[in-house]
Amino acid sequence: MKRSAWNYLPLAAVATLLAAPPTQAADLAISAPNWPSGQATANILKVGIEKDFGLQVEVKPMGTMNSFVGLEAGSVDIQPEIWRPNFDELVKKYVDGKGAVTLAGKHVSAWQGLCATPAAAATFKSVADLGDPEKTKVLDTDGDGRGEIWIGAPTWLSTGIERVRAKSYGYDKNLNLVEVEEDVAMAAVDAAVATDQPMVFYCYAPHHVFQLHEIERLEEPAHDPAKWQLVSAQDPLWITKSSATTAWDAGHFQIGYATAFAKKRPEVAQFLEKVDFTPEEVTQMSYALGVERQEPLDYARKWVEQNAARVEGWGKP
Amino acid sequence: MRGTTMGKMRRFGLMLVAGSLCLGPLVALAETQIYDARTGKWVDYDKKKARQLYARNKQLPEAFRRQIVPFRTAEAPGTIIIDGNQHFLYLVQPGGQAIRYGIGVGREGFGWAGIVRVGRKAENPSWTPPAEMVARDPNAAKWAAGMPGGRPDNPLGPRALYLYVGDSDTIYRIHGTIEPWTIGLDVSSGCIRLNNEDVIDLYSRVDVGAKVIVLMQGAALYKGV
Repeated sequence: MKRSAWNYLPLAAVATLLAAPPTQAADLAISAPNWPSGQATANILKVGIEKDFGLQVEVKPMGTMNSFVGLEAGSVDIQPEIWRPNFDELVKKYVDGKGAVTLAGKHVSAWQGLCATPAAAATFKSVADLGDPEKTKVLDTDGDGRGEIWIGAPTWLSTGIERVRAKSYGYDKNLNLVEVEEDVAMAAVDAAVATDQPMVFYCYAPHHVFQLHEIERLEEPAHDPAKWQLVSAQDPLWITKSSATTAWDAGHFQIGYATAFAKKRPEVAQFLEKVDFTPEEVTQMSYALGVERQEPLDYARKWVEQNAARVEGWGKP
Repeated sequence: MRGTTMGKMRRFGLMLVAGSLCLGPLVALAETQIYDARTGKWVDYDKKKARQLYARNKQLPEAFRRQIVPFRTAEAPGTIIIDGNQHFLYLVQPGGQAIRYGIGVGREGFGWAGIVRVGRKAENPSWTPPAEMVARDPNAAKWAAGMPGGRPDNPLGPRALYLYVGDSDTIYRIHGTIEPWTIGLDVSSGCIRLNNEDVIDLYSRVDVGAKVIVLMQGAALYKGV
């Protein structure tokens, strides 16, 4: 899943950051990633904390790696979605190693893998079907006789791992591995579904694509750490040297906060420990922002209003 | 496409300086098929067949005619999605729908996929043949300095939408055609052509700044007329 260490900022967001005039200093800062559910949860935390504690909270658009740096440096206090296992290396460094970041105890279950549109689901039930060149021919979109499969955006950490998996399972021999921005891939899914064409693609949940379309997940052998040998992405040859022949480990994401901040504002840290979003709620958030195009802050205000008692409960000792 | 999408995007980036490069008609590949209701058979939808059918029916096969279709997407109304593989251009509408137009696309696809925007629109655009076309085609050579817009033989037709990356013009345009039977085929090089009524319709509905998504695609294997 996305969630790469190098998540880009939308240009508009960069411009906003650069052009932002000095404002009244906020009491705390929450980093907001560039995917819909992360923007929703960042703003829900902002509205909830402002309501429960009367503090002024700033939301800063930021990729995950910068967010961890900010959590250590003190320029960021809260990161709303730290995806695991994708960012285990950062967790190892900043949480386990330096102790600069604390992870909240509760988490939202997540998964990532490979998915099929309805027209592809009958042919592609498991990852083993991808190894059959006769089957994958129907995924051809450029007339060369080989099918295409989207493996993620070029900047995502997961995309390299999907390349490792394709090589390890062997379907890279008969499928072209396509790296392109997520908007392009999701529009390709829309067009494939609209014309009943088969398409297989990397997917992750919670995600609004599962509300837009009837998407099936391909079966894979259960995750086995012994068969999931990834060399550090710092090594330029890590894709060649790595191997992964099972499903991804079950994932989750959780809130992270600066350890120093928790000492300064223990009541807010307690609030963060109680936040209990469900996967269904996160999917709805993704849909509201990603599909219905609701403004994150407006959506957050409505969400907090509709869940007033629950948010109030998060703020009680 | 292994490992090449980024390469193609880079190449696309390099081509930004190449100027206008909408080639005239080239030889079509015979990879599209359509259903011929008269004979009850699937037939190759190549240039010859397309021309015969157009002469007979005075219109495109139904699939390539402008129509409203169900289209569920996270993209905002006003976004253009180009599926070169199936020869469709979608203009996203509210309420889970899109206006679908038939298109003719590059013989070898665009060679890239990605997100661009409508940077400029023009009525009766002038057309400048690329240098290699001027070199091989005396008819094109006549217009080396540019063919004025509004002429019936101007290959861009009555409207053009110029695709930009940021503030930079790409070599790619969405435009009309003087050969309406080529819609549904891979005939031009790089550009996206609609029949003239459709490009006028699209032009009237699209604002400068509209997001344009070009899907990963190539030559067509279309069935379903």
